[in-house]
Amino acid sequence: MRNYRPLALFILTVGLASLLGDINVSAAPQTKKEKRLQKKAEAAQAATPANSTTPVKPIVGPVGPKDATALARLIDEQITKKLTEAKVGPSPLCSDEEFLRRAYLDLTGVIPPAEKAQAFLDATSPTKRAKLIDELLESPNFGRHLADVWQAKLMPRDSGNRFVLREPLVKWLEEQFNKNTPWNQFVFSLISASGTVEDNPAVTYFLANRSVDKLTDGVTQHFLGVQLTCAQCHNHPFAEYKQTEYWGMAEFFSKVRPDNPKNANKGGDNTKIGVQEGTGRTKLKDFFPDAAKTVPAKFLGGPAPKLSPTEPYRPILARWMTAPDNPYFARAMVNRTWAVLFGTGFVNPIDDMHEGNPPSHPDLLAAVAQNFAANGFDIKYLYRSICNSQTYQRTSKPIAANEKDDHLFSHMTVKVLSPEQLYDSLATITGAETTVRERMGKGAGKKGPANGRDGFVQFFLAGAEATHPTEYDAGIPQALRLMNSRVTGNPGLIRQFASPGDRSATVIERIYLAALSRRPTPTETGRLTSYVAKASTPAEAYGDILWAVLNSSEFTMVK
Amino acid sequence: MFSDHLIESTRRKFLQLSAAGVGAASLSGWMEVLAARASAAPTPTPGKAKSCILLWMDGGPSHKDTFDLKPASKGAGDFKPIKTKAPGIEISEHLPNLAKVMNHGVVVRGMSTPEGAHPRAKYNLHTGYREGQGGLVYPSLGAIVASEVGRPESSVPAFVSIGNRSYGAGFLGPKYQPLLVQDPARGVEDLKSLVAEGRFTNRLELLQEMEQAFQGEYRAPVITDHKTAYERAVRLMNAKEAKAFDLSLEPTASKAKYGTGRFAEGVLMARRLVEVGVPFVEVTLGGWDTHQDNFARVKSLSEQVDGAAASLIEDLKVRGLLESTLVIWMGEFGRTPNINTRGAKPGRDHYPKAWSLAMFGGGVKGGRVYGKTDAEGATVVDQKAGTTDFLATVCELMGIDHSKKNETSTGRPVQIVDKPKPFTGQIA
Repeated sequence: MRNYRPLALFILTVGLASLLGDINVSAAPQTKKEKRLQKKAEAAQAATPANSTTPVKPIVGPVGPKDATALARLIDEQITKKLTEAKVGPSPLCSDEEFLRRAYLDLTGVIPPAEKAQAFLDATSPTKRAKLIDELLESPNFGRHLADVWQAKLMPRDSGNRFVLREPLVKWLEEQFNKNTPWNQFVFSLISASGTVEDNPAVTYFLANRSVDKLTDGVTQHFLGVQLTCAQCHNHPFAEYKQTEYWGMAEFFSKVRPDNPKNANKGGDNTKIGVQEGTGRTKLKDFFPDAAKTVPAKFLGGPAPKLSPTEPYRPILARWMTAPDNPYFARAMVNRTWAVLFGTGFVNPIDDMHEGNPPSHPDLLAAVAQNFAANGFDIKYLYRSICNSQTYQRTSKPIAANEKDDHLFSHMTVKVLSPEQLYDSLATITGAETTVRERMGKGAGKKGPANGRDGFVQFFLAGAEATHPTEYDAGIPQALRLMNSRVTGNPGLIRQFASPGDRSATVIERIYLAALSRRPTPTETGRLTSYVAKASTPAEAYGDILWAVLNSSEFTMVK
Repeated sequence: MFSDHLIESTRRKFLQLSAAGVGAASLSGWMEVLAARASAAPTPTPGKAKSCILLWMDGGPSHKDTFDLKPASKGAGDFKPIKTKAPGIEISEHLPNLAKVMNHGVVVRGMSTPEGAHPRAKYNLHTGYREGQGGLVYPSLGAIVASEVGRPESSVPAFVSIGNRSYGAGFLGPKYQPLLVQDPARGVEDLKSLVAEGRFTNRLELLQEMEQAFQGEYRAPVITDHKTAYERAVRLMNAKEAKAFDLSLEPTASKAKYGTGRFAEGVLMARRLVEVGVPFVEVTLGGWDTHQDNFARVKSLSEQVDGAAASLIEDLKVRGLLESTLVIWMGEFGRTPNINTRGAKPGRDHYPKAWSLAMFGGGVKGGRVYGKTDAEGATVVDQKAGTTDFLATVCELMGIDHSKKNETSTGRPVQIVDKPKPFTGQIA
């Protein structure tokens, strides 16, 4: 709280200035090079034929190439503008403690180790936040975290998929995110993937979605941010999508021939199976639903390309989807990325973008999407820009002037850790990797989870595909597990924090730094040292404190 | 926030409440205090049924192969009808034990509902609303019963769902969220603290202080929801009724007649839960989506249902609980009257236009049929019942006022069941 005052003052100034119309919203290019680039972008837009696939021209202009700072500034200007219009005041910037834990969990899916936390909090460099963002984006855990976010969508955990090997696709996703493969190339590779799991793990997507409707639903939802599902059987009730629109998209998958992982599992090798695209319509059992319509292939809201049956169809779809001027592709990823970081998107549900469900910040979404596309669909650039914004770095503590706001981003949302984040964070402190595995492995049987982490995740998902960052989805069984199992109750855990003779204040600080990435407040230290003094042994008291910390909301959530 | 005064005052309040007989043996003061505060809620209108067991046939069971056979029709299928203990009611030959208790049950043959895709149909039948309607998440029947009939002071959650996540409390909030038992053989795990009672109380006090401090600063609803989940968990740890979740305590002989497998175990657990006063238990049996190989699969599923459900009804009768326990057998829709021959083995597809469900006990007048389909089982010709008609009937059987309006978090009033025409009078 100590460094809030100047920041609050700054925010106030910005707020006032924008009230007076003093803020330059257009983010005009500063250098010659930027000017040139903008002209080029405008020329490119002018050259695009005015059909329905033309992206909406952003009202706010493009910023310099790969200039995360400029894009961050643009984000702040647009967010401030809306806040001012709505007369909602922004919360101050967050403390270093909040920022540290938030950045670690949002970018790498795990809390910082105690020594990293201490080093960051003690560092005095004014650019330490930007440096930490850069460091975390280069951490291998960045790809691991995003692979967790995506695997739930790409490989539904339904009973039909129990023979699908998840690991190869997870590894592949992780590698692509860590290599920072441009999102358009990334998605192109996935959608057009053929071959065996061994040679091209991306084909797993088709093994885990073995019907034309699952593929059409998934691809439009995850990569274009559009829910076509309803249009499968009737014209979409809320959006402009007609049934023919659905089956026009489905036609691009009509020649896909995925092997059956179940058969392969019966004696074969599950890495040798894969996906081919033939020359005729797939004859696989259940690949087409009963109500399937056969209509010529047509891009969603766009033209019908000429297809030759001897050529694979999927690359043609993938090329259209991932083109810089595709009206959906960049927006969908920007909205999704925003939701990873803020808990909610500009459009919610994040994959249900249509005219009847407009974004909270249409200009900003368009501008960020345009910059994302113009900068080679650079995912790390997108994350870097958003994380460097003041909007991202606001505290999640509401103030009187914004307590009711839940869509203008006046303060950060308190997000609930996903099961993966919770497991990995517990493991950082408790070395739970082994304890949890032992526990979960018990009686798991052949059909059981692949490892302790997967078992923990499935237990917390309790049959759902994913949990919601803005809702506490865990129930009684999960609370019982966290309270009464060795996950948090192993008496040996405390040894890493306390050696005989350590001052109790020191031990308490170690626990807080390791679990909550902050030092205890003086009040907390006072209360907890007296707790230790009254206990029968210090070790027992430390165990109690650690137990309470690990079961607390503060641990289970990102503030 | 970490003031000793607060803990002292909590402790004192707790002691006062204990003295008043509110919290008996307790692990934690604050949990009990909160429990006591909640019990100020109004008591529900007494109805005949105090509990409901919903046997959910996931995937949509074929009505023509279970409770509405049409041996003379085009798509009659392989199964023969058999006589039941209720004169005039015939059901599938693969439900022989249910046939013997049909005198306690009502077959509803005129269900006709709007949704033909699994998720949307399941949502509709569980909540009475269409998915996404008005931008709200609606409470499912279990949560409605939990909030209307559940005793707030009860240590066991009022809504237990076995074998499936099911549909939850929606805008009614986490207090009425189902306790999910994924595998009945394992019951509810981790019910016992790893440390002694006194120490566990100390731990909870520390936790309470941390929660208060955090909630005070960040004021997010998720923090309250976390607290609610923990309170419910601690109360369950404390409850002697929690033994109902432990199937190893059931005598081997009575276990055996329910059959084997998760569904049979789930039904047995449902009976044990109703015995300790749990008002709503949902048990799921999946596999009814028989687009392919309909007859072999429905036969095997029917056998699983038959043993378990008939044993349940008999056990409830013997214990004097059948009058106060409504047992419902249903899925999200029926299946096509015609047989598809697309695949190697004949199947039936989704069919929400006309289908059947069955209800036993809970004050229904046994041995009756409500609703009638045509010769093919394709159209309801008499006593048609929609989703809300059915849900309102269940509410009336349980003494719940379905015209009551619950408020969403933003203060919007939402009627428990919207515009129903209940048929309670014809079956109870």
